Amino acid sequence: MWTRTVNGKVLHFYLAGINNQNFLMRDKETGTWWQQITGKAIYGPLKGSSLELVPSDELTFGEWKAEVTGGKVLAPVPKYAKKYDSNWEPEVAKLPVVISFPGTELKSRDVVVGLELGGASRAYPWDTLAKQSPVMDRVHGTPLLVVVGPDGKSFRVFISRIDGKDAEFFLKGETEADESAKKTAAASPTAGSPSGGATSGAPQATSANSAAPAKTWALLDASTASEWNFQGCAVSGSATGKCLEKVPALKDYWFDWRNYHPDTTIYKR
Amino acid sequence: MYYSRPRPGLWFLFWLSALTAIGFFLIPAFVIRPFHLQTSRSLGLAMALRERAPLGSLVAGVVSVWFGWLLWRSDNLRRKIVLSVMLALVAFSVVMSRLNYFEWMFHPVDSAQFESEAASKLENPEMILAIRYADDARAYPIREMAYHHILNDTVGGVPVAVTY
Repeated sequence: MWTRTVNGKVLHFYLAGINNQNFLMRDKETGTWWQQITGKAIYGPLKGSSLELVPSDELTFGEWKAEVTGGKVLAPVPKYAKKYDSNWEPEVAKLPVVISFPGTELKSRDVVVGLELGGASRAYPWDTLAKQSPVMDRVHGTPLLVVVGPDGKSFRVFISRIDGKDAEFFLKGETEADESAKKTAAASPTAGSPSGGATSGAPQATSANSAAPAKTWALLDASTASEWNFQGCAVSGSATGKCLEKVPALKDYWFDWRNYHPDTTIYKR
Repeated sequence: MYYSRPRPGLWFLFWLSALTAIGFFLIPAFVIRPFHLQTSRSLGLAMALRERAPLGSLVAGVVSVWFGWLLWRSDNLRRKIVLSVMLALVAFSVVMSRLNYFEWMFHPVDSAQFESEAASKLENPEMILAIRYADDARAYPIREMAYHHILNDTVGGVPVAVTY
């Protein structure tokens, strides 16, 4: 998502081509060509300019409704509504891949959460995230918290610092014993559910984060034991009212992320 | 009066202008196609041609029609078929150079309409892209954006391009 204002002028973009699974757009005002995935102008009068990234979230409708009041939802355009594919995810997963990068454990259509911080790129395989959330990591010297939401589908990344001090987070109901159990579970060939440490667990929990029902889902920070919600804000405990800084991240296919971030590292446990 | 001997100079100029007109459309269309890896060099060439295509193909097209007309006066039916086919391709290229066929595949949203959370028929597990500026919180269903690809919107006074 990008802002449309460049050098004080508001531009109107339109689809101008498909570019390696992403697309090219042009602006009506100058005819400059922009790359959708990077926001950079690659040809035309504004070549070299960059669009400013808009902070946005990729999450489920249910999670969004829980966080927001009075929100507006884009309505389907009646003329084209039949062309929308509610099954788009598995459909796209079947499409041919324009480029592949053998030599890593990831397959081209594996889904990763990708982020960029201080010029360093990092990819978190979705399967790993789903099993190990919340994930504590460090990119470009910055401590990060990568977390999958209570719905098992939404995700967010935060800078893991409270009042300037590095912080560590756990899922409420989990302890350090659960953390190491998660690591063992992930390392074993038949990685299954972590050990039964989730006190608010549902009967058939396959991963720690889906064990906690949405109402009681919370993160705890190791130093103050405050409860934090999926928006990264503390709702109880001594840190109440404080919020973590969000880091833009996106869900992408491995081959596409790797194509635009050739130096990316992959999160592994 | 009919010319019955071959006129290579004229044919050469015809082919040159006709293929130029066609190339203005075909080369960018061939490079910028789905599932085809584009290097930055080939992309640069494609964009440079695409930009000049409306005028370039028209000029080359008109020139090729002129030579085609000069070559038309001949007994040879085969030659006339060749000329007709080529001129049809030229006409096609001139027209297509002025059209954005990507928007035929993925229609843009002419004017975005929004509904309230309660009115929306989306189901809870469906993925959306969400933006919020000030009090203006908006959700764009990914199933819809995966089709339209791009939407120009203004959220909380901030002009944004929603892309997927």
